[in-house]
Amino acid sequence: MNEPNLPVEEAQVAAPKGHPSPAAANGSGLQWLSSRARLLSLSEGNLFLLLAIIIGMFSGMAVVCFRIAIEWARLGLLGSALAPPPVRVLLVPAGAGLVVAFLVQKFFRGARGNGVNQTKAAVYVFDGFVPFRTVIGKFLTCSLAIGSGQSLGPEDPSLQMGAGIASALGRRLKLSRDRLRLLAPVGAAAGLAAAFNAPISAVLFVIEEVIGTWSASALGAIVLAAVSSAVVMRSFLGGEPMFRVPAYTLARPAELLAYAVLGVVSGVLSLAFTKIIAYFRPRLRALPEWTYYLQPAMAGLLIGFVGLRIPQSMGTGYSYIDQALHSQYTWEFLAILGFAKILTTSLSFVSGTPGGMFAPTLFIGAMIGGAIGGLEHHFFPQVSASVAPFALVGMGTFFAGFMRVPITSVFMVVETTGSYSIVLPVMISNTIAYLISRKYQDVALFDLLAKQDNLELPSMEEQREQIVLRVEDAMRKPDLPPLQASDTLARALEIAETSTEEVLLVRFPTGRWAAIAREDLRAMASGRSRETQLRELLSTARLPILHPDQRLDDALRFIQGHALLPVVGRAGSRKLEGVLSLPDILTAYQRTS
Amino acid sequence: MLLFSLILLALLFAITAALARTYHAREQGLVAEWFQKGNANLANGKPALAFEDFRNSLSYGPENSDVQLHLAEALLANGRFTEARSYLMNLWDRSPGSGEVNLDLAHVSMQTGDVDQTIRYFHGAIFGSWEKEPALQRRKVRLELCEFLLAHRMTNDAQAEIAGLAADTPAGDGILLEENGRLFLRGGEPGKALAEFEAALQINPRQSQWLADAGQVAFETGDYLKAESYFSKADRENPSAEIRASLVLVRDVLGNDPYLAGLSDEEQTRRSWRDFELGLVRLRKCARNSTASLSSGQSPSDMQLIVKDAQELQRRVNLRSLGGNPELQSEAMRLVSRIETATSRICGPATGLDEALTLIEKRHEGNNP
Repeated sequence: MNEPNLPVEEAQVAAPKGHPSPAAANGSGLQWLSSRARLLSLSEGNLFLLLAIIIGMFSGMAVVCFRIAIEWARLGLLGSALAPPPVRVLLVPAGAGLVVAFLVQKFFRGARGNGVNQTKAAVYVFDGFVPFRTVIGKFLTCSLAIGSGQSLGPEDPSLQMGAGIASALGRRLKLSRDRLRLLAPVGAAAGLAAAFNAPISAVLFVIEEVIGTWSASALGAIVLAAVSSAVVMRSFLGGEPMFRVPAYTLARPAELLAYAVLGVVSGVLSLAFTKIIAYFRPRLRALPEWTYYLQPAMAGLLIGFVGLRIPQSMGTGYSYIDQALHSQYTWEFLAILGFAKILTTSLSFVSGTPGGMFAPTLFIGAMIGGAIGGLEHHFFPQVSASVAPFALVGMGTFFAGFMRVPITSVFMVVETTGSYSIVLPVMISNTIAYLISRKYQDVALFDLLAKQDNLELPSMEEQREQIVLRVEDAMRKPDLPPLQASDTLARALEIAETSTEEVLLVRFPTGRWAAIAREDLRAMASGRSRETQLRELLSTARLPILHPDQRLDDALRFIQGHALLPVVGRAGSRKLEGVLSLPDILTAYQRTS
Repeated sequence: MLLFSLILLALLFAITAALARTYHAREQGLVAEWFQKGNANLANGKPALAFEDFRNSLSYGPENSDVQLHLAEALLANGRFTEARSYLMNLWDRSPGSGEVNLDLAHVSMQTGDVDQTIRYFHGAIFGSWEKEPALQRRKVRLELCEFLLAHRMTNDAQAEIAGLAADTPAGDGILLEENGRLFLRGGEPGKALAEFEAALQINPRQSQWLADAGQVAFETGDYLKAESYFSKADRENPSAEIRASLVLVRDVLGNDPYLAGLSDEEQTRRSWRDFELGLVRLRKCARNSTASLSSGQSPSDMQLIVKDAQELQRRVNLRSLGGNPELQSEAMRLVSRIETATSRICGPATGLDEALTLIEKRHEGNNP
């Protein structure tokens, strides 16, 4: 398959120009930073945090301009009514699709593709490099595509634009490779925070999906960038939550059952949505390259046909989510809207039209949620509440099942609606949807797309679920009790003769541990009185101690230079739980692999 | 480089601010444009179109309470109560003391048949805040609540609300006083109704409608002297057939009532005798006209009994025997009452003097020995 996307291509071409070689980067970037840091009495770490704030501000403003550009495009192309005139509905998405395809194919190849994966590729493949051309390309093509009614959202491009801006700034500042790698997720969080007006969700998403760990070095910068970006966005576009929701209270516990049903249905539908994309995307990409000029236009035409009857299925659909949250539709129509959106979003996405999946996912979730809520209310009015809370929960539930980011999905619902009271049903429903999706779709969406794009990116989901080996998995029981510091040399020799260990552990009353090899004991005995106590012989020796719950990776760092380490309980370091040697660790790893 | 970044940041800030300002201005323009269209369509009785317009407006100003309220009202006018309720609840959460929102919620609850909620929201509207003409708005809401309570036969609650309404009515507004009077009348409190009409007449004693209203209430409470006074004034101010007819009837009552205070014995006797004779005439006419129905078995026993009693009493009653014999007068008047009741049932409602006789008997029911 010939992948035309591609940061791979662009990075390979562009990296030598703007991207410093690791050697150069490690030198001049740090020197520059250090000199400025000295000047401002700031440490390098603090300066990096300052840079994160600046990145956040740049990203916030870029996202504000991006959202305004989308709105201007929509107003100009489709008009100001929520239901545009039929001629425009039919022609505009197709016409804009042609222009977008031309721009992507001729000028901005990096704009095609998934922003999350491209940011991950920047972190793991291209040393933090995101071409600035991609930022411009995403801005232009996504504004046009989304503004013309293609069923895509602005969040994913915003995330990539943030990463691109951060990368460009980092390169201009000649930061080291490590710092550059760290900057891409920082910018991504800033972009997403501004797009969603949800800094917490943005931070969680980047941690859950892009970097995969709660790294202390990254977390501070990511949080600062997300917050500064959200603040900038709010100062220009207002601080109201994305969706306004009616007050919700859980009337009776039985309602949770109704939400569980929603979790099951959303899980199944999100699975189906993933399968549709997984099936059609590579097949359309396998078509000759000239068809890439037509695919977005064809998708636009089909979306236009759907839009003639169901204009709600076009564009981001935020207004309609709001209406669903206010019980504006019957459950039957909500179901139709949900399925229509699955169709139009699939068309837009598999045709390679630039744009994100966040907004459509929320739309589909809200509609399916509302439909399930309405249906349940129809048959069991005493159990289920009104449609609105189901639409609200549905947003997060479908998101959890489709994107496979369970924690982000919970916080996203809370943040985008400002409604905390809904959190319990959201947690239940999201977990069910996530588990169903996980059970029947081995590879998460982003990993699937990366594989289709021939990118071998680390799977955050797999990382999260990797078995972590701990000391208790590798340690063994000692064959004899440890020696005491008060034991004499004669006693120690006597015990050493019966032990199978080459090295014996010695316990001091203070909780200190030391080790002595059998050979060393014999050598000591030849020149000293056999009544000499061990504490006199081992007065300065001190062994590192391990605890059973420590990660085996950590134990590896301590064991270097020691044949045997004591494993003691956390309640008291005098109680020996087991012993650990390097061969024990290797055996444990071999056993697991 | 850092300095360059800061300069770039400032430049981008200025550009973004300009763009955002332009965009917000355009947004506000669209909010207003669609809002006006919606209002026009709502005023022209096209709630469905108005609803679409308000929805468009709201998409550009999602926090605009006015648009939300009008959208909810368009939904109400469209009969889409559940959707309207959702928007209104959202508004209510933000401003639970808004009179307008509470009133709309009362209308939604009214439609969904939730009486308690309806009353609660009506009270919320009465005690809530109103931007324009708060006193007038509160009065309107209270009037609507009174109508609602009366329609639901919650008379005690309605009476309390009407009393509240009367208490809050400015003393110098005769129209409002008259309105109160009519409500009191519907709430089963004619005495209070008359007081309101009389208070209104103190402001303008020559207002013919108020005079007629006061006369009507006095008439209904059996105060025929007062009724005659008000009807005659009303007739003077604005003669009409209706008032004239009422006046004649009242005068017939007053002119034929043998129990009217201050009459001499002779006059009492004369009136009793005349009433008795009038009753017999009515009985004869009715008996003649309804021979067929009587023979067909419709209430024969009643009528025949009355005829029999009338024949028996006629032998004993004359102008002389009635004089100085109040018991016989009462007996004669009781028979007249029975005659009027029975003939009204069989031969149709009494008119003219017969109606007056009916009213006289009704007025003195229970007072007669």
